[in-house]
Amino acid sequence: MSLVRKDIVVIVGNYGSGKTEVAINLAVYHRRAGFSVSVADLDLVNPYFRTREARRPLEALGVRVVLPPDRYLTADLPILDPAVAGLIRRPSQVTILDAGGNDVGATVLASLNHVLAAASVEMLQVVNPFRPFTETVEGCQRIRAQIEAAARLPVAGWIGNAHLMDETTPQDLMEGYRFVTTLAERSGLPLRCVTAPVHLAAGLPRDQWTCPLLPIERQLVPPWRRPLSLTPAR
Amino acid sequence: MGKILMKGNEAIGEAAIRAGCLNYFAYPITPQSEVAEYLSWRMPEVGGVFLQGESEVAVGYMLFGAAGAGERVFTTSSSPGISLMSEAISYIAAAQLPAVFVNIIRGGPGLGGILPSQGDYFQATKGGGHGDYRLLVMAPASVQETAEMVMQAFPLAEKYRNPVMILGDGLIGQMMEPVEFPDHLRTAPSNKDEWASSGMSTRGSSRRNLVKSLFLDPETLNNQNLLLKAKYDRMKREEVRYEGYNLQGDYRVLIVSYGTMSRVCRTAVDNLKAQGLEVGLLRPQTLFPFPERAIREAAGKSTCRAVISIEMSMGQMVEDVERSVRGIRSVHWYGKCGGDVPTPEEIMEVVRDLDDGGCQTPGCICDKE
Repeated sequence: MSLVRKDIVVIVGNYGSGKTEVAINLAVYHRRAGFSVSVADLDLVNPYFRTREARRPLEALGVRVVLPPDRYLTADLPILDPAVAGLIRRPSQVTILDAGGNDVGATVLASLNHVLAAASVEMLQVVNPFRPFTETVEGCQRIRAQIEAAARLPVAGWIGNAHLMDETTPQDLMEGYRFVTTLAERSGLPLRCVTAPVHLAAGLPRDQWTCPLLPIERQLVPPWRRPLSLTPAR
Repeated sequence: MGKILMKGNEAIGEAAIRAGCLNYFAYPITPQSEVAEYLSWRMPEVGGVFLQGESEVAVGYMLFGAAGAGERVFTTSSSPGISLMSEAISYIAAAQLPAVFVNIIRGGPGLGGILPSQGDYFQATKGGGHGDYRLLVMAPASVQETAEMVMQAFPLAEKYRNPVMILGDGLIGQMMEPVEFPDHLRTAPSNKDEWASSGMSTRGSSRRNLVKSLFLDPETLNNQNLLLKAKYDRMKREEVRYEGYNLQGDYRVLIVSYGTMSRVCRTAVDNLKAQGLEVGLLRPQTLFPFPERAIREAAGKSTCRAVISIEMSMGQMVEDVERSVRGIRSVHWYGKCGGDVPTPEEIMEVVRDLDDGGCQTPGCICDKE
């Protein structure tokens, strides 16, 4: 089953909401489900913890990863690979565009407006209520309005990504679920899915949840940790 | 308030506010710019001031001026920016004013790169600026510790009337971890009446507080330097901080490492222990004053064969480690400073070599005659 509704899904959110980890795991989820999948790194803002760090395991699964040329990978230069526009014109079955944080990071989408306008595309906003600025419905809505204005695209739905890294508890996930359901209700936008660290996913009362769950196998880790190894099927 | 998930850079900004600092002057530079971004909206919200200078040179003197007027002040920058501020840092230390500097180090020298580095150890601990001054330098290894050290930095700066520097690498600024801001670290009112040049009538004092660093008379200048030295000696007695890991066991190699690099070393220590090799880890939390005695004592353990400084630089802290060990054990270095952080596996290999009695690291200080 696909978690997305259009050929192209654009992942946005405030800084540190978990866009990139969500984008990587969305790619893995759909690739394992048998879809052809591409993921493009559009983060022109932050040089740390980006899609590029999961490039090899993603490519090993058969996910196409579109990144700036190697020699620019560690530059803090706003380089948008022309291949991205090509990808939008000829998308895979599931094509994921991982934008940078806040309205600043989403601004790049406006520059792709001419190609995005003709494409089947939806923009989803990732929300972690344990992050500053998005601990309230109003905060999430404010960021949404800023991103929509900068990206010149509407947000089509929410992805709940409540966590406290390694310290995440099932209670945190329940609290996060309640928060994003309230957010969905009050914003009138659907809740597309909720994430959970893979080791906690099995213990959650999913029969009571009204949206799909995206298990997160963490890939963006500090150098003293190993990312979870991604197997073709789980 | 429960824990929230913060980037190190955001936590630095919030911690300063919680510590009672409402004056932030800065100029953006990767990988520290999120502090400025965060405080650009947060400072106005709490009635504070965020002023972006036209350069880091200007920022340094904004701090000098505001500190001289009795305000609690801080700035954040990254390596080249700190170089530009170094003249002002020397002046602030000479004028005995409190100020807090945060350096989220990027690769150097020159423009270098924007990835993690610890190449500014010398700059921070031996003086990037001129003259006989010292900074009290703290080196956090987690976002929580960063927040706490920033909150502790303000009272320390006021206690010594001296700049305090928080030294973190790019990862400290960029990584996200859960954090909470302890209420007990909220800073008490400043002792500014003792030094601020804020007008005698405003503080109801007959004492003149003069902010200056020019002492043309040789004896006066020498006395001024002796006064500063006495403060730095007091820091050495009262402010040394470090953390030991696996120092109870019969370790055969002692690693000295600080900041996020020490967390990679910790993983290596755990992995080596699982393979039957005991390794101790000593993490300096203050780089000046340096935990000399603790390192010497840890190196002196009868089972310890070698000491190694592991740092994201070409061998800076190792000079202080060597000085601390005073020749009782062989001292080695391992490091990288291009932005790739050494992995646990690399460190394990280096440590295993040392345990075997060899050192395979090209350029290690043990090579020298």
